[in-house]
Amino acid sequence: MQCECAKQSSDLSLMKDVLETYGAVPGSLITILQQAQAIYGYLPMDVIYHIAEQTGSTPAKVLGVATFYTQFRFQPVGKYLIMLCNGTACHVNGSERVAQAICEYLEISNGGTSADGLFSFSIVACLGCCSLSPVMMINEETYGSLTPEKAVAVLKEIREKEAAVQ
Amino acid sequence: MSFRVVVGQGSCGIAAGANKVYDALAEQLADSAVGLGIAGCIGMCWLEPIVDLYEDDTLTMRLVRVGKADAKAIADACKNGDLSALSALAITEEDAAFLTEQTRIVLRNCGIIDPESLESALQAGAYTALKKVLAEGDGMSPEAVIACIKESGLAGRGGAGFPTWFKWNAARQSPGEEKYLICNADEGDPGAFMDRAVIESDPHALIEGMLIGAYAIGAKEAVVYVRAEYPLAIKRLLNAIAQAKAAGLVGENILGSGFSCDFRVKAGAGAFVCGEETALIESLEGKRGMPRLKPPFPAAAGYWQQPSNINNVETFANVAWIINNGGAAFAAMGTERSKGTKVFALTGKIKRGGLVEIPMGRTLRDVIFGIGGGIRDDKAFQAVQMGGPSGGCIPADLLDTVIDYQALAATGAIMGSGGMVVMDDSTCMVAMAKFFLDFTADESCGKCVHCRIGTKRMQEILSRMTEGKGKEGDIELLEELCVAIKDGALCGLGQTAPNPVLTAIRYFRPQFEAHITEKRCPAHACTALLQYRIDADACKGCTLCAKKCPVQAITGDVKKPHIIDQARCIRCGQCKAGCKFNAITVA
Amino acid sequence: MSKMITVTINDKVCTCEEGCSILQAAAANGLEIPNLCNDESVKVYGACGLCAVEVVDDGSGKGIPKLLRACSAKAVDGYVIRYDTERVNRARKIALELLMSDHTGDCVAPCSLNCPAGTDCQGYVKKIAQGDYHGAVEIVKEKLPLPASIGRVCPHPCEKQCRRGLVEEPISIAFLKAFAADRDLEQDTYRAACAAESGKRVAVVGGGPAGLTAAYFLRRKGHAVTVLDAAKKMGGMLRYGIPAYRLPKAVLDREIEEIAAMGVTMQNGVRLGEDITLEQLRSEYDAVILAVGAWRSMQMGCVGEDLEGVIGGIEFLHDISSGEGALPDLRGKSVAVCGGGNTAMDACRSAVRCGAENVYVIYRRTREEMPADPLEIEESVEEGVIYKYLTNPAEIMGENGKVTAVRLQIMELGEPDASGRRFPVPVEGKFETLPVDMVIMAIGQKLSPKGLDGVELTKKGTIAADEATFVTNLPKVFAIGDATNRGADIAIAAIGEANRCADVVDSALKGKLSPVRKPFLSKRQVTAEMLADREKIARCKMPARDAAVRRRDFDEVNLGLTEDIARAEAKRCLECGCHDYADCKLIRYANLQEIHPERLAGAKNTHEKERKLVCIERDNGKCILCGLCVRSCEEDAKQGILGLVGRGFTTVIRPEFLDRATVEVCKTCGKCVNVCPTGALKLLD
Repeated sequence: MQCECAKQSSDLSLMKDVLETYGAVPGSLITILQQAQAIYGYLPMDVIYHIAEQTGSTPAKVLGVATFYTQFRFQPVGKYLIMLCNGTACHVNGSERVAQAICEYLEISNGGTSADGLFSFSIVACLGCCSLSPVMMINEETYGSLTPEKAVAVLKEIREKEAAVQ
Repeated sequence: MSFRVVVGQGSCGIAAGANKVYDALAEQLADSAVGLGIAGCIGMCWLEPIVDLYEDDTLTMRLVRVGKADAKAIADACKNGDLSALSALAITEEDAAFLTEQTRIVLRNCGIIDPESLESALQAGAYTALKKVLAEGDGMSPEAVIACIKESGLAGRGGAGFPTWFKWNAARQSPGEEKYLICNADEGDPGAFMDRAVIESDPHALIEGMLIGAYAIGAKEAVVYVRAEYPLAIKRLLNAIAQAKAAGLVGENILGSGFSCDFRVKAGAGAFVCGEETALIESLEGKRGMPRLKPPFPAAAGYWQQPSNINNVETFANVAWIINNGGAAFAAMGTERSKGTKVFALTGKIKRGGLVEIPMGRTLRDVIFGIGGGIRDDKAFQAVQMGGPSGGCIPADLLDTVIDYQALAATGAIMGSGGMVVMDDSTCMVAMAKFFLDFTADESCGKCVHCRIGTKRMQEILSRMTEGKGKEGDIELLEELCVAIKDGALCGLGQTAPNPVLTAIRYFRPQFEAHITEKRCPAHACTALLQYRIDADACKGCTLCAKKCPVQAITGDVKKPHIIDQARCIRCGQCKAGCKFNAITVA
Repeated sequence: MSKMITVTINDKVCTCEEGCSILQAAAANGLEIPNLCNDESVKVYGACGLCAVEVVDDGSGKGIPKLLRACSAKAVDGYVIRYDTERVNRARKIALELLMSDHTGDCVAPCSLNCPAGTDCQGYVKKIAQGDYHGAVEIVKEKLPLPASIGRVCPHPCEKQCRRGLVEEPISIAFLKAFAADRDLEQDTYRAACAAESGKRVAVVGGGPAGLTAAYFLRRKGHAVTVLDAAKKMGGMLRYGIPAYRLPKAVLDREIEEIAAMGVTMQNGVRLGEDITLEQLRSEYDAVILAVGAWRSMQMGCVGEDLEGVIGGIEFLHDISSGEGALPDLRGKSVAVCGGGNTAMDACRSAVRCGAENVYVIYRRTREEMPADPLEIEESVEEGVIYKYLTNPAEIMGENGKVTAVRLQIMELGEPDASGRRFPVPVEGKFETLPVDMVIMAIGQKLSPKGLDGVELTKKGTIAADEATFVTNLPKVFAIGDATNRGADIAIAAIGEANRCADVVDSALKGKLSPVRKPFLSKRQVTAEMLADREKIARCKMPARDAAVRRRDFDEVNLGLTEDIARAEAKRCLECGCHDYADCKLIRYANLQEIHPERLAGAKNTHEKERKLVCIERDNGKCILCGLCVRSCEEDAKQGILGLVGRGFTTVIRPEFLDRATVEVCKTCGKCVNVCPTGALKLLD
């Protein structure tokens, strides 16, 4: 009955500071969820239940808010999160072909994580760098004027860098 | 004589490599007398990274498309005091005209001041309007502020174009102790980035405008709701608020006037619908961003059910200028019914894309072919999309439409928040309509039936058209759905979602008909409708295409013309891209 | 007390308190503006868009250009509001079409849908499972007044569509109906109440299933009904066409008595065209319903059909069932029955019972194609009937004007045609001669047009009656049953027509004839895979008398279901139809106008039923996301257990429990179920 969260066991103590700061501030649920995602990389179900309990809300409400916004994830993501812009300008300038190339290279589809756990890929709403379209962001870094080849080259470079570190 | 090097560091500049240029310059200029600083976005995105060279605070040279390899030359030139060696990097006169053709009020300091320095902003005149309003003795009453805004004719720049003074006045008149002033910086229109540029480049312009607004309506708290996708904007805004607070410009008893106003920044979490004001309020309250029924309007019962006023970034960024220069000066610009200037994000298949601020009343042709320099690769102009997924496309024969709220509305498009995406004839207008419906259907909050299911059905109909499965009567069905959704949807997102489809049908009906009856995409953009063929006369039988084909759809003997098996072909186009003899055609 | 204001809604002057919504103003004055997401127990939400109204005059002489949502828009003194304008109707229609295009569920179970009379099989089967047999009959009698008879003889198209058939075998719906009806007839027989006397008089010509049903329903509606029949007793084909071993006359008599007891006048021995003319009836009654049946057997057109010993199936069965004179003595005789339908079955089995030594059924295809009920074929074989498949009478041979043999053309099945049906074709030159004393032609029936002067007939010789109104070319004259249009069909089809015809006649008698409209119903596709998890339970077997015994008399073959068997059988029902059909606001509004959601067909949110709430079953396929359950849980029950998950088209409502205690709360609350406007939520027993 306690759903999937019974299977998870996240370290809930990591949420202590966040909940102390925002737990009692009305209207802070989205902020709390954003912080939780920053801590865990995604929103584990048991964390959602924990937040509900600690803020005097209910799991249904917290889950309802979390699933409404595209920023929140419910599965762990790779070390590098590729966000490919699909704004109008990027679309007009060929973001679709870039997406195809990335998916083919990583052998995943939109929303997936590569087998090596290094990359997650998601197509997102406008990133606001329309003049450099097509654009993608990998973690905090932005890459503009992409072609399918250029995008794959960026990923290859990251992969090589990671391989060298290990 | 002293030189200062300023690197443009807006998001697009950084994306183009401005960070690396800055780091390289810092290395080269270490231990030199030449100053190094940053600025926000000047709005000439196609030229990024941009480096400005100042000589005694005067801009003497603007260098464009600078790479980190250029750092040494730049540093040396500045150290030597001889810039002639840099002329190859200097902006051309033609490109420079992009700026000189504009009238910049909102963008007055963008790309010029250091967005991370209050000092820099103050030097450029920030907070003079606030001081004027709050001045002891001869300051302005809230009513006087509202009157001034009324005189200016300023209308909401977020898209709807509702008179700003009216909203301010309603919130002021609304009874209640706690009132809130909210800035909508949830710039969700795909193809629009004006607000981001303003916050990243001149955050104090926004803060000052909001402070004046808060004073006018009687709010003690101001909230900025920013898209989470704008991390740099959030960072600079938080920094600016902290600086302003330290300087006594934000917080308790501002400038000793007794007026207090605190600021908060809330990051959105990815929902286009939160650009709708009541959905935004729901989201601010930590809930699902689903629009509320209106009435009651936010002016009566908004954030925490208190009187609230919401304007967007660009609207606020106009306020200080209006207070400083008077409402009449603002109203002197523009047309009979639309006053002042408007900022556009000019993008798409345009030669010079970027931020354009012009007085209302200029024509679309002025912007696209004048300031924007026309269509990239000298292709034919097909249409311009105004207002993103809530707006519509405007075809070539309406290029002389003047930019004002009513004239644009008459075309079926809208002014919108300022997205202006230019399309050439390689864009399929059916696929474009589908693109927007993909977007709105995906962003529908799901509350009302018309939007939740209606946009989904429109998207499905458009999808099947682009896949060659369109049916007789689909255009009429789309039109019927459009009318019903405009009439029946709960909020602005749903009510305007049909606009891109209605305008596309209105101006490009033959394209829709070709997709349905001939199963043909005139722009050769809809993959499912393409047919690749090998011209037997041009084919040399080199076998390259057969090797490139990922599905073995191409067969033929060496040195003999090859053929494509249409049933197997997946229309990936790799054969055409690889052919050295231009023997492969697509229709 | 707050100020009272006045608004006009759909021409009705409504007073209400200032500050109330248009929806409330209407409700307070007895007007229902359609709405799905509103409930007084929760805050206004504004999602469904059904309550759109047009303010045609806001007091200034001008209207408001936008449609308003009546749930949120305040009523303002002097407003003139309409919710029946073309624009409003169009908006509501498309909102409903959109909703229905993403609504997955069965309003009505497939058994009911396939019943020509639309009987609520699921409803009465459930009552039987519960042991409430009078209740079951009450449900049946909403559609058909002869359940004990029809339950015995109906070829039950309902069972063909029964989804239990995807698990193992269909529910024995027809026999369950007979079981319940028999119990009901034993004592405290259910009798429907009749409306107050209307003062209108209706004549029904023909006392068969169609005529009796029409009379029954018109009587219930308060009209004075007289049934006229040429035969000595009422019952039509049920009496004179169906042998007693299938339907004992006593059962039929009891059911007819019940109809008579409601005040229906019955006159036997009155033949139209002889004892009374249609003209007379038309002048004496406010309406006349022709339900005269098809009483003549069709002829085959082969040589020798005029020989003595050749008889039509209908005529043969009539002779046996009329009770006039002795049964034909067929001892030591050989009888050939031509045809493969239910009349052929009745004829061959009756021939056995009349002592015939050899009884053959001549049928030109194979058993697979035979339209007769397989059970009857089986039982007749048990009783000794011999089947001559793939044969066709080529000639009936005789001596001295009397039948001696039938020459059979041997047939074979040809290639399947476009419809996949294999037609029989003669094998050239191959014949077989079967010595017989009697040939019964059971290949179809036709109408005797006697007394139908002035009534327009079809090319087939049947009465031409409008499909939706049953009107004939003569004013005030309606026609139903075997005598009309496509001709003879099964009894339940005639009963369905009679019921619908009664509605039409009733409407006509009340001043405005309104045709039968087929209601819009939501349906879903179910496959065997979807039911793979169901436990397999065999269909019940009707206890029957031994073949060797029963073949000697006309006593009832079946012994009837026992209570244990019947209740166990009824419990096999999958309850496919929506439990909330009768109270569903969505379907009620959907049928306020004609809607065509199929034109908007697209992706659907298909969800399996969820029983996460333990005591509440949630069918998200039927959910229309009005949010009432979520809001009621939060605002009214103060729980917040339910929540919306996701956004846009794929939003679902899901419960999330913090702990077991919250589950317990649900067991005693049930507020969400009460506010649900569709059948998405169901309290489990």
